[in-house]
Amino acid sequence: MSEVNFEGAGRPLGKLEQELISSYMAKGVSRRSFLVRGSYLGLSAAFLGSIVAACGDDEEGGGDSGGAGEVKEGGTLRVASQRPGSPLDPVGMDNLGTYTVVSTCLEYLCGPGEGAALAPMLAEEWSPNDDGSVWTFKIRKGVKWHDGGELTAADVVATLDRLSVGNLAAYIVEGAATAVDDSTVQVTLNAPDGQFPYQLSVYNPQSLITPADFATGTVLNDRKTGTGPFKLESYDSAIKAVFVRNDEYWGGKPKLEKVEFIFSDDIDTQINGVIAGEADAIVLFAVVGGDALLNNGDVTVESVKGASHRQLWMNTREGNFTDVRVRQAVALGIDRQQLLDVVLQGRGVIGNDHPIAPTYEYFDASQAQRTRDIEKAKSLLAEAGKEGLAVTMFVPDLVEIPQLAELMQSQLKEIGMDVTLNVISTDTFYDSWCKVYDSTNEPAGCDGGEEFGIVDYGNRGTPDVYLVKAYSTGEWNSAHYVSEEFRAAVAAYQAALTVEERKAPIAEIQRIANEDVPYVIPYFYDSLFAYKKNVAGIRATGLGHFYLNSAGFTS
Amino acid sequence: MLVTLWLLATIVFLLVSVLPGNVGRKVLGPFAPEAEVQRYNQAIGTDRPLLQQYFTSIRRAFTLDFGKSYGTREDVRDMVLDALGRSGKLALLAFVLTIPISIVAGIIAARRQDKITDRVIVNAGLASSSIPEFVTASVLLSIFAVQLGWGKAFANPPDNAGPIEQLQYLVLPATAMAIAYFGYIARMTRAGVITALHADYTRTATMKGLSKRQVMVRHVLRNALAPTITVISVQIGYLFGGIIGVEKVFNYAGLGSLMLGAVGAHDVPVLQGAVMLVGMIYMVSTLLADLLIAYLNPRIRLGATK
Repeated sequence: MSEVNFEGAGRPLGKLEQELISSYMAKGVSRRSFLVRGSYLGLSAAFLGSIVAACGDDEEGGGDSGGAGEVKEGGTLRVASQRPGSPLDPVGMDNLGTYTVVSTCLEYLCGPGEGAALAPMLAEEWSPNDDGSVWTFKIRKGVKWHDGGELTAADVVATLDRLSVGNLAAYIVEGAATAVDDSTVQVTLNAPDGQFPYQLSVYNPQSLITPADFATGTVLNDRKTGTGPFKLESYDSAIKAVFVRNDEYWGGKPKLEKVEFIFSDDIDTQINGVIAGEADAIVLFAVVGGDALLNNGDVTVESVKGASHRQLWMNTREGNFTDVRVRQAVALGIDRQQLLDVVLQGRGVIGNDHPIAPTYEYFDASQAQRTRDIEKAKSLLAEAGKEGLAVTMFVPDLVEIPQLAELMQSQLKEIGMDVTLNVISTDTFYDSWCKVYDSTNEPAGCDGGEEFGIVDYGNRGTPDVYLVKAYSTGEWNSAHYVSEEFRAAVAAYQAALTVEERKAPIAEIQRIANEDVPYVIPYFYDSLFAYKKNVAGIRATGLGHFYLNSAGFTS
Repeated sequence: MLVTLWLLATIVFLLVSVLPGNVGRKVLGPFAPEAEVQRYNQAIGTDRPLLQQYFTSIRRAFTLDFGKSYGTREDVRDMVLDALGRSGKLALLAFVLTIPISIVAGIIAARRQDKITDRVIVNAGLASSSIPEFVTASVLLSIFAVQLGWGKAFANPPDNAGPIEQLQYLVLPATAMAIAYFGYIARMTRAGVITALHADYTRTATMKGLSKRQVMVRHVLRNALAPTITVISVQIGYLFGGIIGVEKVFNYAGLGSLMLGAVGAHDVPVLQGAVMLVGMIYMVSTLLADLLIAYLNPRIRLGATK
């Protein structure tokens, strides 16, 4: 191993960074994982690369998207996209259609990296103090606002102040962010958090950086500004949003001259538009209903891996599933690979009855995968005195969930369970899923709700929401699951500041969730986006962001 | 008419208030904190007494001030009027396509009563009017727009499109609607013409030596078209109902799409605005039809002045 030059980091390295580098050098961390974790600690790609090279580990190619080199200059990209359901207000927006439009102009401090990692965007680098309670962000220089002026630390401080009263209230108070100089912002957190940059990234869609004088509630169509690769030209919430190239984009002049997001409430219409050649790309679609794109030779479909999943909840405190053997029987009775292959055409990875997706850096891959075992499931049911158990499964009429439920129903029949499906509209489903949270009911979970059913969880940059709300405090704890051991592991995970420190409690979390099975998690599904074969260079997050700065037509 | 309007506003209000689910929850999503949901409901007034909400809703209906959309916070009157303009354009094109064709077809069928031409027209009309518009629209879309590339799958024309270009965008959805109305209007015309052809005044007109053409225009059509006009005017109302499915299929930003989206998103002000507007169109078109029939038929005019 040649000598590593720590000077290359351009700043003094804290405890977290040093620990990561030493564990990589000691081969305790894979190259890919090292790059991912380094990026969210704010280490530059050049510096990480120099360490990889010093360790003689750079034989694998980079993660370059490729194809971008062949992209020609010019053209209008027409993108079929969900209709914005809220005003173009970066702080108040609440749906994917709006995220798509707003995040084309405005940008985050931290952008999307590989897997669940972060990559520099408006912040060139970021670093924590020793206990993760103060984070310092280096703001990119020379970034220009669409309506004039240059991005400075003052803009970032003002944005964080605006977010401190709502979106980020749990993390910072007003005044917590200060400008050290024109391009350095220091943020003092309410409590230490080793993963705070996620709150200023694509994973917290409302955390887009806006100019210092951008009053809360301002909508982008009234004040057309931003730092992104495209400038908003016109917006009609009923029809489309039109963007023109930002020639002064900090990331280099974009190839496309114009971008149009064509709105529709209906996914079939969007798909028809792509096939008929009236749209060149589609922001987000699902396998169910997406056959026409999945089986189309003129279209490239890409998967975005993430932690989106479905939970089959079983009430652990009342009713038929109080005995852990019954819950394990259900988990053993389903054939995960078949569910994934049939319902999602294999677009995802199978789950192991815990919410830690393989995209998280601290995921414990050594845990044994639960596979189908009909005999064992039957004997567990018999031991628990629940042979021939008849139950009703509550199912929201949402994307692929009804099909998933039907297939589970037939699989569970083979272990002698008689499952009746009750498929209900999402208008009323969430009332029967987990009734209004009652804090006096702690720790019994949400108040009432059905004993058996499936609910959807979207992608998150960290698993905290699943671990706290579904498995612990009760707000979405439809399984009414209470385990002191589990909560202790979650507390240990949250107190940890480094990925290394997180690994042990996460392994515990995976083990306990898998053994207690309050929820069966059959799979983590991919988000899908698609574009015509003559288009390249698009990046999507599955959260509505559609990054087109390197995109363009190849022919 | 004011009473009808009041009744309509009341019905819309009642229907909206029995919609399941909590408005704030629906708008903010299943995972929004309860406090946010309550704050939202307070802000838009759904936590107020029902009677108070009712009076607000009636006042809005009569002043055409429906407030702001729950979703996009845009002014509902602007949204609804923009959408009406687009739907009107589509409906007009559908009318222009369907009325001459179906009236001519009806006359031909009547004159060749019980012959093969008549049978073909009658059966084609029966078939076309029994297929819902959205089915016709989906078939036209997948054959012409998706497979053959002869029309547009997204029917909204670009902002600066001229009349011819707009026509290219609108012709498929308009055809879908025209097909659905062809049968009804053609059969009404046929029935009216047959009755008129057998009437005494037609025989008298023929006997007194008028040419076939004069008999047809002056005596037969004038009498035969009255019921057809009634049907057409009622169809204007239906047109705005049937347009919903067609607009959805072709992603056309008219009243139908607006209403469907509003139902899905529980956007009550938009729904109220759109339904009230469609109701008013219905009323006005029925009134116009009555006036037109009175003009064409002196018996009604004179009867009214007695």
